[in-house]
Amino acid sequence: MMRRLLRDPLAHFLVAGAAIWAALSLADEPVDPAERTIALTKEEQANLALGFERTMGRPPTDAELDAQIESWVREEVLYREALRLGLDAGDPVVRRRLSTKMDDLAGAEVETARPSEETLAAWLREHPGRFGEGERFTFSQTYFRSEDALRDALGGAGDASGDAISLPERMSDASYDEIMAVFGSQFAAQIAGMQQTSGAQVTSGYGYHLVDLEKRVEGRQRPLSEIRDKVEADWRSSTAAARRARAFELLREAYRIEVE
Amino acid sequence: MDYRIGVIAGALVLAGCDLFGGGGVSEEQRGDGTDTIELAEFPDRPYWGDTHLHTDVSVDAFGFGVRLGPEDALKFARGEEVTATTGMSAQLDRPLDFLVIADHSDAMGATRRLYDAPRMMVRDPTLRRWRDMMHENPDQSTRAVAELITAAANDEIPEALRDPERQAKATRELWDRHLGLLDRYNEPGTFTAFAGFEWTLMPGGNNLHRVVMFRDGSAKTGQVLPYPGIDGEVTGLWDYMDSYEQSTGGKVLAIPHNSNLSNGMMFEFSGPDGGPMDADYARRRARHEPVVEVTQIKGDSETHPFLSPNDEYASFGVAGWELGNLPLTAKSTPDMFAGSYIRSALLRGLTLEQQMGENPYAFGLIGSTDSHTSLATADDDQFFGKHTGNEPRADRAMAAQNLGTRQGRFGWHYLASGYAAAWARGNTRAEIFDAFMRREVYATTGPRMVVRLFAGFDFGESDWEGDWVRAGYSRGVPMGGDLVDDGRAPTFLVSALKDPDGANLDRVQIVKGWVDANGAEQEKVFDVAWSARPMDAASNSPVPPVGDTVNRSEATYENSIGAAQLRATWTDPEYRRGQRAFYYVRVLEIPTPSWVLYDAKRFGLTLPKEVVEANVIQQRAYSSPVWLRPRRIPGDAPPIMQ
Repeated sequence: MMRRLLRDPLAHFLVAGAAIWAALSLADEPVDPAERTIALTKEEQANLALGFERTMGRPPTDAELDAQIESWVREEVLYREALRLGLDAGDPVVRRRLSTKMDDLAGAEVETARPSEETLAAWLREHPGRFGEGERFTFSQTYFRSEDALRDALGGAGDASGDAISLPERMSDASYDEIMAVFGSQFAAQIAGMQQTSGAQVTSGYGYHLVDLEKRVEGRQRPLSEIRDKVEADWRSSTAAARRARAFELLREAYRIEVE
Repeated sequence: MDYRIGVIAGALVLAGCDLFGGGGVSEEQRGDGTDTIELAEFPDRPYWGDTHLHTDVSVDAFGFGVRLGPEDALKFARGEEVTATTGMSAQLDRPLDFLVIADHSDAMGATRRLYDAPRMMVRDPTLRRWRDMMHENPDQSTRAVAELITAAANDEIPEALRDPERQAKATRELWDRHLGLLDRYNEPGTFTAFAGFEWTLMPGGNNLHRVVMFRDGSAKTGQVLPYPGIDGEVTGLWDYMDSYEQSTGGKVLAIPHNSNLSNGMMFEFSGPDGGPMDADYARRRARHEPVVEVTQIKGDSETHPFLSPNDEYASFGVAGWELGNLPLTAKSTPDMFAGSYIRSALLRGLTLEQQMGENPYAFGLIGSTDSHTSLATADDDQFFGKHTGNEPRADRAMAAQNLGTRQGRFGWHYLASGYAAAWARGNTRAEIFDAFMRREVYATTGPRMVVRLFAGFDFGESDWEGDWVRAGYSRGVPMGGDLVDDGRAPTFLVSALKDPDGANLDRVQIVKGWVDANGAEQEKVFDVAWSARPMDAASNSPVPPVGDTVNRSEATYENSIGAAQLRATWTDPEYRRGQRAFYYVRVLEIPTPSWVLYDAKRFGLTLPKEVVEANVIQQRAYSSPVWLRPRRIPGDAPPIMQ
């Protein structure tokens, strides 16, 4: 567990946050007068210029950049004073923005990560259902508009060739989804639950069917080399989501919640 | 508190990272799908899709609150479970076969950027106010976007949002990332992800929007950017499309929609300058816009009772939307309707063709959602609403819709509509796109009925005995096709199957439009098949209503009436030689509850009686028309029967 934690960027982040917190706590006062320096690095100035460009569609002039800096300083001063006064507490917008940023942060690392072959192979092993080639069914069917018509046909009293309908008489190597698209959910579920058999009675939204299930091919797992990109995409989105959830759990554990 | 500062600093640094690494995709996924899968001999089943879905990249959808992006939209359409913005889990009972994410090209991604921008960076007072409203709460955010739409309608959008040059860089980033994502989700044979965008032309708030849909993968679509133009000219869009096709060898089409909110401008009889339409304009329009979206969340555009007084089913999806243009900044008057609805546009097309030899309005019909939630839902029992502000919640049905002037439109006016069906030989970009181009497509208001239409001159009842689909393709034309008059009345093979997971069918109708000997436009609705019940010559329609099994308070219905399948071989009894005409099929289901009644049941609402009754509806499908055109004989006088 500990070794995993050491490798986990989220843990790094939490540790870093804790370290900052500890350093500042050791300073005894929550706001050190020595902290009253506002430094604007070259990078931050470049960010201001970039932000200007993104919003306005062109780089700022020198005068405009000065104005940006002045405005930034003003906002920073007021921001820090607002924090000192505790004005951020109880503000729903601030609350939501910060919690969203925390979420993004927890997921961000994984969005840029390049997973190794081993990671992806393991992912594929752990989630066979998502990448397998589903079962395939080959069957033919005869349609009857009513249960009576079906019964008569079975008893030799009615027309065994069934009633005319614009449905395929035979489907070959069809997937579950393909069957569902053509015959509906009810029919597909019954086919999937059936062993190879002839003359099975199956119902659908259209009516009644006599089905010969000729062939049923079990699904197969496709090798990583065939579907690497798909596995990576799935790993990425699932891992980011899991990470967000886990980050929350980790943080959440530190709190005792009392609901009156 | 200081710990928090550290956290924020760290978060800001990381949030600046590129959020998409992503590996490559296979050559098959990247292309248009040609030669990737085995194709059926004939189009063998309809493939289901939505060509009109908005995600958090759209300027309005983000402002309305959606926080789901294109990837969630693709997953959802493909059948996976996702969590909607408002927290509910969402999954389609049946996956879709294809999807066009059609985010607005104007100011693409701009509301998200405005929202994320440091406040002091936003100098423009209007933009700053909108930014503040977006941060304040969801209601204010919705209001800000309503103001934005109104401003767009009045040509008062702040310069910073409007100038395409200023948007280009940000759009480039978004577009490249988006195209990569589409390729990743595009799986020939299983699921097709099309590149596209919405072009939001809206002079004076009159809706002239088009969805633009590409046939190609990122190698070609990556060579261009989505074309903005909220205050442009439609010819500009066609120039853009021509230029794309010439420079890349790719293909692209445009789909007008919500003509019902255009105040008569979508299908004008005159040309764009107010004078007579010229043949070149008509030809260009027909070539670039082979299909229109006839039904969607913001109402149904088939026809209006004012235009079709003898059609007892003409009022579907009209309430609320007939009042005015998109933001309701200008009222609609009856003289505008003919330019706003599909059936009258098809008629105008016949007249224009008679006058100048080109038909600008010879289009096929599809439905799509126009959902702004990233969720392509068109089933009434799982309708996720127009935008995040009206995802399922107790007050959405009766809430006034706070767009524009905030009058006259309520939540219950929204339709859980619709989907596009494409008759294709397989599920690839090329096959489905080509079905759109040849108009072998149809619209439904949500249910997945299977509708076939063939037209020819020698079909008969006996064709149903054999391989009628082969007969249809070999001796006739399918929906979307042209039939050249040969002096005999055309005969149609029509087949409609119910949605296997839905309601039974009430009736199948053929809607005929033609230009009579005096040059006047005429229309008539023929009942051609219905579930067994006697004709009623006294009533307006010879076929009496199918009945009504809807339990209003429980939001249920029974399939104890209606039919699973309806078929007809129908020959036009009013055929006249040389007459220009179109014929399309309308299939009606038995009455079922709309999403409003499902809501009422779920949330225990008591709705006004008229709202309840308006929400017992007959869902429908509209096929693309078949056109009957006079034969042109070289040297002959034009076959116009004046």
